[in-house]
Amino acid sequence: MFGYILRRLAVAVPTLLLLIVFSFLLMHAAPGGPFTGERSLPPQVLANLEAKYGLDQPLIVQLWNYLKGVVLQFDFGPSFVYPDRTVNGLIADGFPVTLTYGLLSFVLAALVGITLGVAAAIRHNSWLDYLAVGTSIGAQVLPNFVMAPILVLVLTLWLGWLPGGGWSFNDPSYWIMPVIALGTSYMASIARITRSSMLEVLGSNHIRTARAKGMPERRVILRHALKPALLPVISYLGPVFVSMITGSVVIDIYFSTGGIGRSFVDSALNRDYAVMMGITILVGALTVLFNLIVDILYAWIDPKIRY
Amino acid sequence: MVIEQDKMRSLADTMAQAEVKGRSPWADARKRFVRNKAAMAGLVILVLVTLFAAFGDYAAAWSNEELDYNVMGQVRELGAPSIATGHYFGTDDLGRDLYARTVQGTRISLMVGIVGAAIAVIVGTLYGATAGYVGGRTDQIMMRLVDILMSIPYMFVLILLLVVFGRSIGMLFLGIGLISWLDMSRIVRGQTLTLKNREFIEAAQATGVSSWRIIMRHIVPNLLGVVAVYATLLVPLMILTESFISFLGLGVQEPLTSWGALISEGAATMNYGTLWQLAFPLFFFCITLFGFFFVGDGLRDALDPKDR
Repeated sequence: MFGYILRRLAVAVPTLLLLIVFSFLLMHAAPGGPFTGERSLPPQVLANLEAKYGLDQPLIVQLWNYLKGVVLQFDFGPSFVYPDRTVNGLIADGFPVTLTYGLLSFVLAALVGITLGVAAAIRHNSWLDYLAVGTSIGAQVLPNFVMAPILVLVLTLWLGWLPGGGWSFNDPSYWIMPVIALGTSYMASIARITRSSMLEVLGSNHIRTARAKGMPERRVILRHALKPALLPVISYLGPVFVSMITGSVVIDIYFSTGGIGRSFVDSALNRDYAVMMGITILVGALTVLFNLIVDILYAWIDPKIRY
Repeated sequence: MVIEQDKMRSLADTMAQAEVKGRSPWADARKRFVRNKAAMAGLVILVLVTLFAAFGDYAAAWSNEELDYNVMGQVRELGAPSIATGHYFGTDDLGRDLYARTVQGTRISLMVGIVGAAIAVIVGTLYGATAGYVGGRTDQIMMRLVDILMSIPYMFVLILLLVVFGRSIGMLFLGIGLISWLDMSRIVRGQTLTLKNREFIEAAQATGVSSWRIIMRHIVPNLLGVVAVYATLLVPLMILTESFISFLGLGVQEPLTSWGALISEGAATMNYGTLWQLAFPLFFFCITLFGFFFVGDGLRDALDPKDR
């Protein structure tokens, strides 16, 4: 097991380094520096600014300094557009929000999706099954950027039950719409995968054996069917996690929740490269970490995996 | 909007083993597809949407660039959908005809979807077939590279690309194409591995056909079924990606538009009571995605009858 984790790490670390180097070079390939605005600065001022941010040094030195800052001190440097703010500060402001509704949404989507999928498979061809299949087909075409306006339209504009945007850590009514908007389509996909893999497992020989020897149905399902049926679901959770981080951008914009997605799009529109890179690298690190967790979980559940 | 990898693999296995027995498997597949009601409904929807995109212009009373000055400023009262004013879908908040805008958006969204899927088909098939056929260390390195690229948060990198190199439709195509082929190459490689030990490949090798020719003439044609199904399911994913980016205001730029941009405008203005601005683009977006999903599922079931 330990060797397996080490080998996965051996892929994960170069991936991250590659991402850092790639986004760094991309930033420097951009036409115009961060200080070429509408007003052209006097050359002396520009030189001073560049010296302050270390932009007058050779590219390779800059890359080395950036890497050193990111890897050793988790320091993404200052924002180029707002001189009084650091990238770390922006992330520290926004990340807790994103993490709160993101994790809630993720856990809910997984729990509801798996429950719905298992229930549909057990009651195959019943109204419950049709309801689950219908919901998951319908929710396929309702990604977060479609769900968000629909939810606001119904729950805020028509019914007036929930605040249409904003964020408060103390008031869960602000959390409901972001969580639902972000999670719905993934809940549906998880339900679909769970259902089809559960159906396949329920038709297999070891389930027939378990039933034939008189094992109670509840035990058959929970002990013998659920575990193998969850394998494809677990490997799907990795991509879901990544898509949810991506989707948080839409949530932050649409509901003004103030997470890191907002900073990312603002920085994209302002060409604030330092902030863009910082967030991209952070998300990349999360992605790699989460894929690692999924791999380990997978290897732990499935004895057929050699590690 | 998930493409189930297990089903794709099972489809790949069946395709690799299918033997010609009297009736051609393609004719069988066509029969099964035609009998599948959801898939046929999806196909009809797609044909209608395509016709709408291609010929919708001729029915429009307004062009997508004209501003209706009568409506401007009182879109809520005067801009509603009506046959009398010629604004079949109403107008947007600038007084532009939403029908013409929807036609334009449909064109661009469909184009993005199809071009993205086409890039995936070409690059993914060649890459996967080469990796699978050559095998050994080359295969190891090529697939490891795919692993690495897959664990990069592509949406963020795509936005980075769009910002750095300027937001243009060409860049959007390139960016979407860059990431779309990864899954395709994995699936194709898997099937190539099962194909390459078959007798007809051995025969080709024995007669001295070059590797490149074997890949192009003997491997790739046998991959077509899987590739076609996967490409059909990729188109909606590409449309979703583009709409996502356009929704954020980072994709297609004015005066061009796409479903994502139109949905974004509609969502921003709906609390002024101009609901049609959200409803019409959303309707086309949803039915088209449904269409592609149903046709893709139907194709898969038709080509792989054991898995239904």
